[in-house]
Amino acid sequence: MASEIEKGTKYIPEMAQTEIDDLNKSIKTASLKVIEDNIERMKKAWKNRPQAMEYFDEISNLFGKRQEEIKQQKTAGKKVVGYSCIFAPIEMILAADAIPVRVGSGWYDTAKLGDRIMPVEICPVIRSTVGAKMVSLSPFLELSDAIVMPLTCDGRTKLSEILADYKPIWHMNPPRVKDDPHTLGMWKQEIMVIKEKIEKLTGNKITRKNLKEAIEKMQQATKAFRRLQDLRKGNPVINGRDAMLVNQTSLWDDVERWTQKVNELCDELEKRVEQKEHSTYPDTPRVMLTGTPMIWPDSWKVPNLIEESNPQGLVVVDEQCSGDRILYDPVGVDEWTMSDMLDAISERYLMACTCPCFTSEHGNEDRINWIIDRIKEYKVDGVIYYVVRGCILYAMEYQRIKRVLDKMNIPVYYLDTEYTREDVGQMKTRVEAFLEMLEARMDI
Amino acid sequence: MVVSAGVDMGTQRVKVAIIKDKQVVGKAQEFVGFEPIKAAEKALEEALKDASISRDEIEHITATGAGVDMATFADSTVSMMGADAKAGTYFFSSARTVIDVGAEDARAVKCDEYGIMQDFIVNARCAAGAGTFIEAMARALEVELEDMGALSLHAERASPINASCVIFAESDVVSLIHREEPKTEIARAIFDAMAERVSSMVKRLGINPDVVLVGGVAKDVGFVTSLKRRLGIEILIPKEPIYAGAIGAALVAARKAKRSRRQ
Repeated sequence: MASEIEKGTKYIPEMAQTEIDDLNKSIKTASLKVIEDNIERMKKAWKNRPQAMEYFDEISNLFGKRQEEIKQQKTAGKKVVGYSCIFAPIEMILAADAIPVRVGSGWYDTAKLGDRIMPVEICPVIRSTVGAKMVSLSPFLELSDAIVMPLTCDGRTKLSEILADYKPIWHMNPPRVKDDPHTLGMWKQEIMVIKEKIEKLTGNKITRKNLKEAIEKMQQATKAFRRLQDLRKGNPVINGRDAMLVNQTSLWDDVERWTQKVNELCDELEKRVEQKEHSTYPDTPRVMLTGTPMIWPDSWKVPNLIEESNPQGLVVVDEQCSGDRILYDPVGVDEWTMSDMLDAISERYLMACTCPCFTSEHGNEDRINWIIDRIKEYKVDGVIYYVVRGCILYAMEYQRIKRVLDKMNIPVYYLDTEYTREDVGQMKTRVEAFLEMLEARMDI
Repeated sequence: MVVSAGVDMGTQRVKVAIIKDKQVVGKAQEFVGFEPIKAAEKALEEALKDASISRDEIEHITATGAGVDMATFADSTVSMMGADAKAGTYFFSSARTVIDVGAEDARAVKCDEYGIMQDFIVNARCAAGAGTFIEAMARALEVELEDMGALSLHAERASPINASCVIFAESDVVSLIHREEPKTEIARAIFDAMAERVSSMVKRLGINPDVVLVGGVAKDVGFVTSLKRRLGIEILIPKEPIYAGAIGAALVAARKAKRSRRQ
């Protein structure tokens, strides 16, 4: 059987090069326009937007500066390790002097392309990633020398198979249960396998010294990230979309530079706290986002809707792997021995994760508790539960979370959509009604 | 004394209601056609005439409905669900769930005794749970839209319709006609299919009594009968359910007018 596959039966059918080039060009142009439009809207939402945001605006261009940088570093001999989900241990990639980048697509136009060969029931994030591969659009996917693919849901599992036609794919099997004593052991083995693979690809040994340095780099990033998050707990000095963009650029930016820029932004924002210079009215309804990842740039339609709605809402926190889940928890090391560091990495990536791929006897408790904690800490008035069609895990987890939030008297709204711009009008109606409801509750 | 107006920019008709001291004193409706703003202006004019009130007397206009963005003449807007909640409790003070079935979408709202919306659900993706579905089916059956409800009441059973999509249901209906199934039973099947969609949506939201049905389709006795049967409860229907959105918006307008007076 293996030989059959070697003969070249790829999942994605051959396309004429001219068609690939045309589609690549037109979708890239459309994407650049969406990026530009999103940035414009964010600027418009806030006349006195912090200067430090300029950096993140620049990095937000997926086809811009960062892509060029990575290309140059690759020519100089560095390896690029892509990852499809935040279960991938970034510290190990950094330790081996490779460049970590997240692959996975937020392009609506490539989802349409993916529809040519993908079943319609599959989540559009997956369809869109396949579509992007069909026309070689995703710069980070193309630049990757290998891709870490944690198998968190059915879509990603089969996606890994499709991408394996083009790149070495390193699977990871995250356990679906984390409160069993032996699952952490299983996961540690997965981490060890990845370590070996990274070492083999890069030719660099992951040593005590370089792993310690990598962990410390990421700890600094986490610290900067938490500093920004803390600022979102108070009266609004940053809009939700701006903070979300900052969080998301960490997925492809150089981590040290990103950390420095986030700290610069926080310096600026702290001054604004003192001067009570708010980004919007302090009594704007505070919204939490959860659900399917919202991937830059097209998925910005949801936060755009919320923050440009009438009445207006403010995204103060999210519970998404494209957002606040990225860097919230640092790797906590007791002693800097190799084995202790590896233990700490395994524990951080498994135990701290609140992905809905987990289950437990009484529901995915970690995620429920995390959401409740954030609601309290960030003084959330209402939760928008965003689900794209085909995202089964998030869709199924909704009812339990709603029932818990109902008991707490926190309104939650299930906002389901597709990778399309055509439903913005209908979604606006729903978002506005929800925000109106939050506002009416605040009046009482 | 507050005089306010609500404009419901629906997908088929524009409805206007004028409220004076919490009483509806004037109302009018117009087909949207190709010029929604003109239709709205005309409906407003008619409603003013109906109320014998001059436009200057109106303190605040609130718009709602699918075409709300076009209502440039309005002082404020309110969501359709917000307007429904207000109107439902205005019609029946005991109302805690309001179901609104319009031309192109269906929605349900839970509200408190003040008409403040507490939760809502919308079906805006599929026409099978909305008025347009009945229209399309009436065409397929070759009966007048107004007669279909009464026709369905004569059926003892419903013909089997499998598809819930308008397009496929239409071909289902055509093949039932070819099989010479009685029109009464086909009509009943159409209302049952539609009521099934609406009731499953409402059940997802959860039902708090009393339940009020508003929107244009609430006038259709065939749909109402099927919905009552599906939900297994009594449903309250106001005299003129089509004006719910406009009246709700006018009530919101009255509140806004009062608030701005205070400031």
